[in-house]
Amino acid sequence: MRHTRTLLAVAAATSLALTACAPGGGGDDAADEDGPIKVGIIADLTGATGDVGTPYAAGEEAYVKWLNENGGIDGREIDATVTDYAYDVPTAERVYKEYVNDGVVAVMGWGTGDSEALKSRVSADELPFMSASYAEPLTDPEEAPYNFVVAPTYSDQARVGLNWIAEDGKSSEVALFHNDSPFGLAPVADAQEWAADLDLNVEPYAMPAGSTNYTGLLSQAKKQGAKYIMIQNVSSPAALVAKDIKAQGLDMQIVCLNWCADELFIDTAGAEAAEGHVLVQPFAPVSAEQPGHDEVNAYLEENGSSLEEEGLHFAQGWYTMHAMAEGIRAAVEEGDLSGAGIKEALETMGAIDTGGVVGAGEIEFSADSHRGSTGTGIYQVEGGEMAPVELGATP
Amino acid sequence: MAAISTGVYFRTYQRELALRHTKAQYVRLALVVVAAIAAPYLLDPYQLSILNTVLIAVVGAVGLNILVGFTGQISLGQGGFLAVGAFTSGLLTMRADLPAPLSIACAVVVTAAAGALFGLPALRLKGLYLAIATLASQEIIVFIARRWSFLREESGAPLSIERLKVGGYEITREYFEFQWYWILLGCAVVAVLAARNLFRTGLGRSFMAVRDQDIAAAAIGVNVTRTKVVAFAVSSGFVGLAGALTAHYSETVTWESFTFEISILYLAMIIVGGLGSVAGAVYGAFFITLLPVFLNEFIGGLGEDVPWLVSRLPAIENAVFGLVIIAFLLIEPRGLDRIWQRMKDYVRFWPFRY
Repeated sequence: MRHTRTLLAVAAATSLALTACAPGGGGDDAADEDGPIKVGIIADLTGATGDVGTPYAAGEEAYVKWLNENGGIDGREIDATVTDYAYDVPTAERVYKEYVNDGVVAVMGWGTGDSEALKSRVSADELPFMSASYAEPLTDPEEAPYNFVVAPTYSDQARVGLNWIAEDGKSSEVALFHNDSPFGLAPVADAQEWAADLDLNVEPYAMPAGSTNYTGLLSQAKKQGAKYIMIQNVSSPAALVAKDIKAQGLDMQIVCLNWCADELFIDTAGAEAAEGHVLVQPFAPVSAEQPGHDEVNAYLEENGSSLEEEGLHFAQGWYTMHAMAEGIRAAVEEGDLSGAGIKEALETMGAIDTGGVVGAGEIEFSADSHRGSTGTGIYQVEGGEMAPVELGATP
Repeated sequence: MAAISTGVYFRTYQRELALRHTKAQYVRLALVVVAAIAAPYLLDPYQLSILNTVLIAVVGAVGLNILVGFTGQISLGQGGFLAVGAFTSGLLTMRADLPAPLSIACAVVVTAAAGALFGLPALRLKGLYLAIATLASQEIIVFIARRWSFLREESGAPLSIERLKVGGYEITREYFEFQWYWILLGCAVVAVLAARNLFRTGLGRSFMAVRDQDIAAAAIGVNVTRTKVVAFAVSSGFVGLAGALTAHYSETVTWESFTFEISILYLAMIIVGGLGSVAGAVYGAFFITLLPVFLNEFIGGLGEDVPWLVSRLPAIENAVFGLVIIAFLLIEPRGLDRIWQRMKDYVRFWPFRY
């Protein structure tokens, strides 16, 4: 017993001594005066949302290349690393830690599940984090002080979609088909609450991952009496729903939100099956020909491609990275290139112009709200194109 | 048994019961201790964070090995039990304001109870049937975690957990990985020692008797029913500890961290490490956790020359993972532990074969 006590005492003393001479935390060489500015990008290229994640990440990367070719930020290049996390939360956590250790000044994320899982870490590490998740909890600076959301939230998009449905007025029953993940569930409760005020009824249905058809879900929606299928998922499964509706000759109209409201949805479903469906899309599609598209298109044409080929998610990635870069630029001008410095710059710098591509055209954050924009476009598929119904719609 | 005991004679019963008998074993233990103490000073915080993840996996893998390797009860419900531990500890800390060590202890007890409950089918089922029954437990637990809004924040976001505080002592941002390393190392050492000692008790031996031949075990007086349920409870207790540590270490609890893939990953750890060996579970936890990291580094290093490899990294990771398991099952079903023993035997007997 005495032997054990001595051992314990030695162990306790050693651990105290060890902590006293512990090595320091993560690297902070990003704050070097003239080295490249490091930014980490967590992307989904091969996972469940890889169909839209790939052009989005390509857009972010292209913006960094374009910026570096045009003098960088105050003569300093941005050194962006892209890592594919395949939509897996533990992998995202590992990649994030690697970035922190590499001394990045900001992180560009992707999904809702991983952005929400990293929220506390991001805030403890004081690293600005701009993901492609537009979940509403990420816009509240009290809850997520270092998360920034450039576009209208999924809840806002659902509200705008429901307003359109209420006005269209074919039926008061709405089936909300959603990805079975935090991303899919993000707008459900808010949509139901909003629908109640509009005398609509929203029933959520989880879309099983990897399904090859959705006839089962559609028959449940039919039983509900739904004439509208609102979809919170990525393009490929949404296109399957459109095909199934066409194949069964159902009188149902899809209202796609953000990640399925794009050219990929129309291409995958085929112009005929996609015809007439409504797309709520906060990022201007290429067919809308906004001035902000010119810069992106010019870069792509120089590199043997075009925005027409790459699609709207490329521009979405481009302008999200642009927003972060503008924050970094403002922080550099203020002489405080730390996470806290970039956060403050983003909150106080005023509107960031996106040439009409994002929301109602500009992104603006404040200390009270990290929701960069509330306006979204509503489009309807006409002859295989996204024809605008309303631009800059707000809930 | 390796040739470890050859020529070693015991003069007292106490000496015979010791965990280590030879000088070589003490030397190796000393080397491990030195490596464990030196690690946080030699590794950067990212590498240390990987090591911390490994240490949590060690606790979980040792727990699963008690059930699968030592009692012969297959389980595909590891992810679910990790979730039970994580959510229990998270909720008790955040909603009931219980101090973290106490809520971690409660998580161990609650997960053990959940394990015993879901282990009840083991009284009737064996092999493949039991595997499917435990798979059901994984699905049920994760389904509840996905759908029950009580397990999330009011805003719908995953449960956030405040930075670990023990008494007046709080983990600091600067030394986050360093301080966690000592906590996790302590837990892993306790888990390994507890498991090693468990198999020197009557209970541990009854686990092995049930594994080797349950009818014979019953014939010699082992209560097979009780043993199976207790094995599920004990194993799940360890897994609950791993889950609770995951929750406090990652400072958030989301069901997405406890999917079916995690159950498979843990099963792979004990297969690759060596079924029925505590050391094997440790080797397996290291191997399987480090495999994607090294692969990532390796392919990342090649990146410039072969960009198509980088763009297919997750697919390559899955393929390598599958190949490793097939290779172990074909070449050395008793895993890394057996390979290590054979290496020691080779050195010991050289230049003779045996």
